[in-house]
Amino acid sequence: MAYAATRGGEEAIEQAERLYREDLAPLTAERVAEVRRTMPYLVDRVMGEASLYEPDLAALALVQTGGDLYEAVLLLRAYRTTQPRLWIAEAVRHADILTVRRISAAFKDIPGGQILGPTLDYSHRLLKVGVLDGEPDTVAPVTPSETPAPATQPALADWQREKGLIEDARAEAVPLEEIPDVTRDGLLFPAPRAHRLQTLARGDTGGMLALGYANMRGYGPTHPTVNDLRLGEAEVRLRHPRGTVFSAGRVRVSEAEMVSKASEGGKLQLGFCATFGWNEVKTIAGATLDLSMHFENDYPAASEEFVLYHTEPTEASGFCIHFKMPHYVTFQSSLDALRDANAKREAHPATAPETPETPDAPAPAPELEEMPS
Amino acid sequence: MSLAELTAPWQRFNYGFLDESAKREIRRKTLKAIAVPGYQVPYASREVPMARGWGTGGLQVTLTLLKPSSVVKVIDQGADDSVNAVSIRKFLRRVGGVAETLDTTAATLIQSRHRIPEEKLRADQVLVLQVPDPEPLRAVEPDISEARHMHADADYGLLWLKLYEQIVRSGRIMEGASYPSLVNGRHVISPSPIPRWDVPKLHQADNLTILSAGREKRIYAVPPHTDVAPLAFDDIAYRVEDHAGIACERSGVKGYFLNELPKGGGASVYEMSDTHFATKHIQKREGEAVSFGATYYRKGSLAR
Repeated sequence: MAYAATRGGEEAIEQAERLYREDLAPLTAERVAEVRRTMPYLVDRVMGEASLYEPDLAALALVQTGGDLYEAVLLLRAYRTTQPRLWIAEAVRHADILTVRRISAAFKDIPGGQILGPTLDYSHRLLKVGVLDGEPDTVAPVTPSETPAPATQPALADWQREKGLIEDARAEAVPLEEIPDVTRDGLLFPAPRAHRLQTLARGDTGGMLALGYANMRGYGPTHPTVNDLRLGEAEVRLRHPRGTVFSAGRVRVSEAEMVSKASEGGKLQLGFCATFGWNEVKTIAGATLDLSMHFENDYPAASEEFVLYHTEPTEASGFCIHFKMPHYVTFQSSLDALRDANAKREAHPATAPETPETPDAPAPAPELEEMPS
Repeated sequence: MSLAELTAPWQRFNYGFLDESAKREIRRKTLKAIAVPGYQVPYASREVPMARGWGTGGLQVTLTLLKPSSVVKVIDQGADDSVNAVSIRKFLRRVGGVAETLDTTAATLIQSRHRIPEEKLRADQVLVLQVPDPEPLRAVEPDISEARHMHADADYGLLWLKLYEQIVRSGRIMEGASYPSLVNGRHVISPSPIPRWDVPKLHQADNLTILSAGREKRIYAVPPHTDVAPLAFDDIAYRVEDHAGIACERSGVKGYFLNELPKGGGASVYEMSDTHFATKHIQKREGEAVSFGATYYRKGSLAR
């Protein structure tokens, strides 16, 4: 009979998945291509959180899950697990990024210039409802500038270092294969800087925004300024065994550098966050978190452990939905202790503890321990 | 010799899903966990095609131990037919092509959530427990870096205090499942959320138990023949759930851990939590030939 019951469970989960899929349009290569083409920012967001740069697979994950972002990220992360780590790319420098948008809020103009690039920042957020009634959506083509912006820009931080405004503490040259990889090592605290930045790079956009915003509002030690914010494309440069460095292709990247106004030892501090894809809100929040974590403080939202653990999309979403699973063994175990304590209290009310301030108050009810999951 | 002879044919993923470098890391960390009983060994913990919190830690250990001759049993809350147990078993079938069993005595590898089977595990069996929260100190110290220091110093004073406060407030220790237990006289572990009923089964067991938390990225172990002592006071003994005298509605058998099922009119019926063990009793009653393993409990008391 248990065999039959087991098959029953198997049939049930099979049918439940079919029911879910039946509500979605069929999964086809055309729909995947359409999502990739029309929703690049969504594709970028899941590629960043998945830490897997493959727009076709990201679009596939989005279509396959009907747009459930956490499920899409999980699909890509699990796919990533099956892929060997064959090579480690050379470091990308600020000055190498083919920049399409670059902003600094710290100065009116900066070396390399302010480049507005593609943005909705100054658009009026009006729904184009007419489109639903068949009106065509007309957007005038971009008028090219007479002098095109330079493809690459120097880092503003270089100028600030020269002026002695920030510490000249450049990373030591670490052999590529010795860079810690948070997907291959356990995360311990204080985390190596590489682990921290990697964890932020694959962090949950919404979670990082929530904690970053908490810092910005005052639940944190910093009120930062955007020092250097960029959207661009970076070459993935690999070193051939014969020694030649070559580009294996380009990836869309965003990076944000936030600068503190509070000084420490006469120097301003920088916070940094970079991620795959174009995702400004994530990198601004991430760089704010990185900056906040630098300062000694008692704010949970600026504690490295608190931030890095709770902005991990796959872990947070998985644990949240795991509460749907049966917990009747743990519940039964706690119930047993509670009933026994209640029975004792009823049988011997005199032995129940009394609080000295309110001697007439009834004995407190037993406290049920938090049930483990 | 050609290149084709030297290369394995392309496959979608490795045997047991994880690639060999992931398996190697888990094997090394598991060996360390066995060498230092109860110590939580950090590991990378890969993402697997199941959500975090749904047994991904246990699954990674099981996938690493899996071989074509394995006979696997998967249970959740003691039941083989619980939907998540079914899902994990289905995944093991897909990536490992292993034999499956519902019978504890026939399994070589048992992955479980929240229970240790009632039939005594043998030296040739490995139990893998899924762990949601590996840190017994979490309730008294949420900062894991601080908790690691406390483990290093064997500083468990706050845990003892917590138990003491429960006695003062409620007249008894109120811990339910996940009862903090001292392993090999050195490290306190959370034995995963198994009921108190199951904790004594770990003490001086014949089998190896590996506990793995995928989301929290920790592996720890209770090797065979290792002392496991639930924290208790000299004058207030450790107590398991009061289930010994209640009969299972399905099988009529008494003396094992039960699930309570609320019924109309304030009534409850109870069913044995180890569902296949109950099924074997039913099969026996119906005249089928079934064999039982030795049990940890006899007539509702620990058999030692």
